[in-house]
Amino acid sequence: MPPKPSTATEDLADVQRVLSGDVQAFEGIVRRWQGPLVNMAWRYCRDRSRAEEMAQEAFVRAWRGLAQWRREASFSTWLFSVAANVYRTELKRVPTLNLPLDEIEEPSAPAGQYRALAEQRQQEDVRNAVRALPQKYREAVILFYFHEMDVAEAARTMGLPEGTVKARLSRGRALLKRRFPHLNEDMAPTAFAEREA
Amino acid sequence: MDTNSGEKWEAMASPMDRMLAGEEELIPSSGFLSSVMECVHEEARVPAPMRFPWRRAVPGVVLAAGVFGWGGFEMAREAMAAMRAGTFTGPEISLPLHLVASIGPAAWVAISLGMSLASWMVSRRLIGHNS
Repeated sequence: MPPKPSTATEDLADVQRVLSGDVQAFEGIVRRWQGPLVNMAWRYCRDRSRAEEMAQEAFVRAWRGLAQWRREASFSTWLFSVAANVYRTELKRVPTLNLPLDEIEEPSAPAGQYRALAEQRQQEDVRNAVRALPQKYREAVILFYFHEMDVAEAARTMGLPEGTVKARLSRGRALLKRRFPHLNEDMAPTAFAEREA
Repeated sequence: MDTNSGEKWEAMASPMDRMLAGEEELIPSSGFLSSVMECVHEEARVPAPMRFPWRRAVPGVVLAAGVFGWGGFEMAREAMAAMRAGTFTGPEISLPLHLVASIGPAAWVAISLGMSLASWMVSRRLIGHNS
């Protein structure tokens, strides 16, 4: 999710205004980044109201630490990194209720008029399986997909070397693929019905 | 982004990856922005935490360090002299009477400063762990 040049300029201007004492200027930052931060939190906890609480805490933490943003990294990278820390800590404090990976059903093939519903169910099962992954793999997987499959951006958000994130991602995806072998094949979800028939 | 294009291509090859990548967007509730700004304004109203009064403490710390340093130096000097003479009878520090009278309070000041410093460091460490 690379920031647009105009967004980066607006962020910088708002940060400078906030640092010079204009509290209200923070609203521009919240307005621009509320969507990404809430969505990122949602991927961590899968609970809408909790996601908003976590994103709010991330914004407050960003507000407190705004002076610590070194301009070497983009504002969005720094903000995502603050948010990832908040979400990680929050989920350690109060973990979400996850089934063990082995107890999550393998998605069945969508078929006929129930295809849309079944596909939705499939997706939910896979996402539940992501939540059941061990924490370090789960976070790599969540941030990789959140950043539209950009390993470098996921690594910057986690504050880890790219190699470490790639290794964790690879392990996480391997665990998921072992759990859901038929989703490993190179075919669209809609093709399952035809294969089952 | 070029460095990841191969990885992206590989990831897009599997339906599972497509499912995880194609997540629907959640729209924050209408009150989210105002709720965050309310918290931020509240934070802004809270006065900044009191800083340790270094300016006031420095003279005391310097004085205490001087007293202890001088005492240590005297003891070492006496011990060296005793070792050279072959007898070690312990240091004999002779101070003017008005200085002797002020050593007791100075020591208490030094101890209390040390304790303040230690408690400040512990509280900073605790805050650091919680935030």
